[in-house]
Amino acid sequence: MKLDAATSAGDIPEALIEPALTVGVVTPGSLDDQVLAFPEMKPPKQWYLGLAVTLTALLIGVGCIGYVFVTGIGAWGNTSPVFWAFDIINFVFWVGIGHAGTLISAILFLFRKRWRNAIARFAEAMTIFAVICAVIFPLIHVGRPWLAYWLFPYPNQRALWTNFRSPLLWDVFAVNTYFSVSLMFWYLGLIPDIASMRDRTTSKIRKVLYTVLAMGWRGAASHWQHYEKAYLLLAGLATGLVLSVHSVVSFDFATSVVPGWHMTIFPPYFVAGAIFAGFAMVVMVLVVVRETMQLKNLITMRHLDVMNKVILAMSCIMGYSYMMEGFTAWYSMNEYLHHGFMNIISGTYGWAGWVTISCNILIPQILWFKKARASYFWMILVAIGVTIGMWFERFVIIVISLHQDYLPSAWRIYKPTMIDFGVLLGTFGIFFTLVLLFARVLPVIATTEVKAILPGAQPSHHGDDHHA
Amino acid sequence: MPETSYAVLGVFETPDALMKAIPQVRAAKLGAVEAYTPYAIHGIEEALGLRKSPLGGMVLVMGILGAITAFGFQYWISAVDYPIITGGKGAGSWEAFIPIMFEVTVLFATFTAGLGMLFLLNKLPFFGHPVLSSKSIKGITRDRYVLALEAESEAFDSTAAARALQAAGAIEVEALPAPDRSPFLTSDYVLRTLGGIFTACVVAGMAMYFATKWFPVLAPMKYMQEQPRLNAQKASSFFKDGHGMQLPVAGTVARGYLPTATGTQEEAASLVNPLPRTPEVFALGKKVYTNRCEVCHGAVGNGVGSLTAAYGAKPANLQAQQFLDYPDGKIYWAIVNGKNAMPSHAPYLSERERWAVVDYVRALQRAQNAKDEDLKVATR
Repeated sequence: MKLDAATSAGDIPEALIEPALTVGVVTPGSLDDQVLAFPEMKPPKQWYLGLAVTLTALLIGVGCIGYVFVTGIGAWGNTSPVFWAFDIINFVFWVGIGHAGTLISAILFLFRKRWRNAIARFAEAMTIFAVICAVIFPLIHVGRPWLAYWLFPYPNQRALWTNFRSPLLWDVFAVNTYFSVSLMFWYLGLIPDIASMRDRTTSKIRKVLYTVLAMGWRGAASHWQHYEKAYLLLAGLATGLVLSVHSVVSFDFATSVVPGWHMTIFPPYFVAGAIFAGFAMVVMVLVVVRETMQLKNLITMRHLDVMNKVILAMSCIMGYSYMMEGFTAWYSMNEYLHHGFMNIISGTYGWAGWVTISCNILIPQILWFKKARASYFWMILVAIGVTIGMWFERFVIIVISLHQDYLPSAWRIYKPTMIDFGVLLGTFGIFFTLVLLFARVLPVIATTEVKAILPGAQPSHHGDDHHA
Repeated sequence: MPETSYAVLGVFETPDALMKAIPQVRAAKLGAVEAYTPYAIHGIEEALGLRKSPLGGMVLVMGILGAITAFGFQYWISAVDYPIITGGKGAGSWEAFIPIMFEVTVLFATFTAGLGMLFLLNKLPFFGHPVLSSKSIKGITRDRYVLALEAESEAFDSTAAARALQAAGAIEVEALPAPDRSPFLTSDYVLRTLGGIFTACVVAGMAMYFATKWFPVLAPMKYMQEQPRLNAQKASSFFKDGHGMQLPVAGTVARGYLPTATGTQEEAASLVNPLPRTPEVFALGKKVYTNRCEVCHGAVGNGVGSLTAAYGAKPANLQAQQFLDYPDGKIYWAIVNGKNAMPSHAPYLSERERWAVVDYVRALQRAQNAKDEDLKVATR
């Protein structure tokens, strides 16, 4: 490894030597004792307190969804011409948050960014939880979710098939594929860690549970060989997938003729926004995790620094996209497009447009300063700002574009109801409840992957030729 | 050491020690050499002489199969079984199939990579492997590097194997008994558990289905067909006269259907037909005349329509001299206000349609009383 004095000194200039990925002395054994001990400890009081809060939010959400099922989706503020509102905003918002996990676990893996090993597990878990939150919205938006299987092309007595030229059906395929692939990627990564937990637990129930989940993993070199190959292939496939999923989500809008939606910039713009929002959420959760679970030596300030740099880069891409939207409206000389853009900065919902611009473009600029990237206050402020800003960005795209399009006689102001907000709150409850449960039951850090990048973890004669 | 050893494990403390030992132990040729490590160690597959993983080829083949399957499925459905034109594209236009082809390709490829690795290549789940019940397994999944000499034949000498491992630098050796073929957690057991869960789900689903079917009070929601509505041939309880479909309020006029009244027929005589005599106007007039007038006035306007005989009515013969002499305005008046038994057609015909009918009636009259010069015009 480059980190070994014996191999890294001499031919590699000091500036190019990667700084240590962990702080202090970490050995494979100490890593297991530190990370794998959590699931076996009695949870602290703060954990129960957190669970009480998230479960309350979850129950409010369940109550609101139950109310929607009983009364119908008229309980929401959706009305002509804004038939798509909170449900699609929240769907796009949550799917976007999921994308950071795949980016960290797959794309950074392909780029051989070894610092991702410490945070990949948590980010992947957040992907899965975010996609669970996301699929709730289209499901309840169909009004009768028990008939949602009609979305799938299966032979039926009605002799009808789905329309394969509809972006909404592409969405069904993209989101389902994304969920299955993320789940498989996450589970495969967990298998060696679960095997570690199986071999160290003293509780009988946990032993049975981990034995089944680890599938009899025994760390054989012949298994590792296939495993590494499978992981590489999955990373490559998931990279293409993650770019396609939010592109397909953006097709829902871009293939329509609504002014403000019908733009070719939408797929890259949506993917960048997804990574942006996802990284903000990951930063927020990681700060809490490293503080409350004493993982400061594994999730280092360098991790947060790099993540904040990604957020800053994405913020600049978003700024460019917003400017392109304005430019397109002006350059097209299309009065509908022009009117739509003016609505974003000065219409009834102009405030939402400015919330988006301030939270997504202006506030993150503070991250140009190294001190801000190293300060919890600023990074949390930016992360919360980006989460709010990205939610409002989808509000701007969806509600502002729909509430005034070609036909002035159909224009109407959209107002969400309390039920809308209750369901949104409920998905936050679901998301954080799952995060809390995950932190208690499974290893939050991929110990196997971190072990492989510790100093001295690879044979010394073989260390550098992979990276040279 | 027991006679029927399956394997002997030698424990090493560092990956370097393990890598150094591998060539020595392999050279002894006492049995198959396998390593057990907490994580993947670079270069160990070459040192152990393992075959390259065939997973890449499997994934490629299955990925291509996924693309072909998705294309074939979509094409067959959208162009053959249920042809549908969307956005003006032909039923067989394939461009819109690409997103789903991509997703299905990824789905096939990832499932091949993940499940193929687990089930086909690594033969997992397997809970009965002797290494799993060894003392060394706790180290293997933590921070120890284990080299195993595994029996390839009956002649396996576990004592010699242990000595070879110690000579290569193992800090500990452990002989493993032959595989236990009836451990608690076999894959059979897992399959049976999963089967049990599946059966429970099916039973619960069926129970729910029949519970809601037999006890309709429990229905989770009302379908659209179960709503208050007026069935065919039934009286409405909402309207006093019992008719479900009500006539419009007296004096109701649809947009574009004014004027509805034009005074007396004599006053209307001075109205001038505003339409130019173009083929479009005559085509419109013919269409309206066929739909609205022909049943009584007949196809040529001679007052012998298909309804006349059945009801004994006497509609006007528009070819009569009286009507040949009518100005356009008087015919227009009759269409708007109705005359004798003929009802007003104002609610059905727009102003343009009324005048177009007037033009068409004029055309019928001229056709039935054609002169020589008309023939010249017609044959020119």
